[in-house]
Amino acid sequence: MPTNITLNEDEQDCLQELMNISYGAATAAIAQIIDRFATLNIPKIKTVSSTEFEEYFLKRFNNKSKYYISNQLISGHLCGENMFIMDDTSIYNLSKEFGLEDDEIDEDELKDVMLEISNIISTTTISKLTALIDSSVIFSPPSIKIVEFLDNLEDRYKTEYQHIIIIATDLKFKDQNIYGELIILSKDESILYLKKALNKLLDEY
Amino acid sequence: MDLINNNIIFNTINNGIIILDENLNILAWNKWLEINTNLKSEDVINQNICKKFEYINERKLKRKIKTVLVTNTSAFYTIDPHEYLINIKVNTIIDKIFESMQQSITIVPYDIEKKYVCLYIYDNTKLCETNYKLEKLNDELKDLSNRDPMTHLYNRRYFSEISDKILSLSMRNGTDLSIIILDIDKFKNINDTYGHGVGDKVIISLANNLEKNIRESDVVARFGGEEFVILLNNTNLENSVLIAEKIRKKIEDIEIIDGDNILKFTASFGVAKYEDTLDSEKIEHTLKRADNALYIAKENGRNQVMVDL
Repeated sequence: MPTNITLNEDEQDCLQELMNISYGAATAAIAQIIDRFATLNIPKIKTVSSTEFEEYFLKRFNNKSKYYISNQLISGHLCGENMFIMDDTSIYNLSKEFGLEDDEIDEDELKDVMLEISNIISTTTISKLTALIDSSVIFSPPSIKIVEFLDNLEDRYKTEYQHIIIIATDLKFKDQNIYGELIILSKDESILYLKKALNKLLDEY
Repeated sequence: MDLINNNIIFNTINNGIIILDENLNILAWNKWLEINTNLKSEDVINQNICKKFEYINERKLKRKIKTVLVTNTSAFYTIDPHEYLINIKVNTIIDKIFESMQQSITIVPYDIEKKYVCLYIYDNTKLCETNYKLEKLNDELKDLSNRDPMTHLYNRRYFSEISDKILSLSMRNGTDLSIIILDIDKFKNINDTYGHGVGDKVIISLANNLEKNIRESDVVARFGGEEFVILLNNTNLENSVLIAEKIRKKIEDIEIIDGDNILKFTASFGVAKYEDTLDSEKIEHTLKRADNALYIAKENGRNQVMVDL
């Protein structure tokens, strides 16, 4: 199995365009579901190898916050895992947008808000992306964990996944900024499929 | 819904299936649920699920259903934090860990036009029990590997791991963090005069004494031989010195009985508080300063507390 497949500049541009469309769909869905006007900044997309990912992860997520991490397995042509990360301030701000009052907010409620938002953003984005490249996927139930210190990246990320797509964005509500990062961890066969699909789209337009 | 209510797959599958409309009315309730809840389909059909089961959070369920209908994808209730949607008591009496069935719920679109959704309820109790036991064993193993076998205090390796994390938290929260390092005075003489068995008793009794005199949020570790370190969370220098002084006096009162002999011993202390300017985000630097203070305490005649200012 080849392990050095990367997306070239055209493919990266095309993926960025598709992600913009997908994120647009996610924003519209969020606004409709929680009856709040939300905007998502144009996401910054980066594709990295598992080694680069570890460096990125340690640099990006320092120990100055507590983080909520949701993981969800994806099966289908784009198989792998998605990971959505938010710091505790963002998740607290988001829970207020979900209509929770201070006396209702506890760790379980915050986990549930994380579950909802990560599910909406991840499934909408990935479903839209796969639909755009004429494919479909199935999502497993996500799991949520709270991490105080991100100094140890689980080894499986280094061994199981060869390609990692990082999509970083700000979710903006009327009064507050909420920052979240969606990370799509994919396997070689998925990136091959993605390359093929992106090239088909590039040929068409 | 008559068709689905009589469907063989719907009624023989080994998990719960509920079909709801957007107003949370139950349209279908399969055999698995009838058996596990003792509620017949006719007892629940056309009833609002949140009225029938008042413990269900209506706002949350409505939002999840809306998510499914808006995005045309799945939504989930995971065991953590939810445990269950429909409370079903666990029957086993042997090794029962959970009172209620641990359920994982997937909500999928059933008929987008009519705004119907389908809820799949999976029983994950066995898996959760296995995970719970494994996590417990894992925690026990981890704890064993973090401790000194003789005193059961934390070892040096764990101390350096946890102290870095506590320092990060303390910097994040802007709280004080101090270190006490202590060393039993003339311990070699104790070993040479009374033997290693008595030396061990001295170390164990000192360790017990240290544990009794610190708070749960503090960390005490045996660094090696007769040297111990205490990390005091949220404690300024003045209070750290008071704690060190209190422990020093308590140690003076310890009596080790060896046959007809009663042995008493003392210890010397060095104290330092973490300072950004001096320690540049390294707790080892604070430790080094406390160690310097300990050295001075020894030089000045032992059985005393010295501070690195």
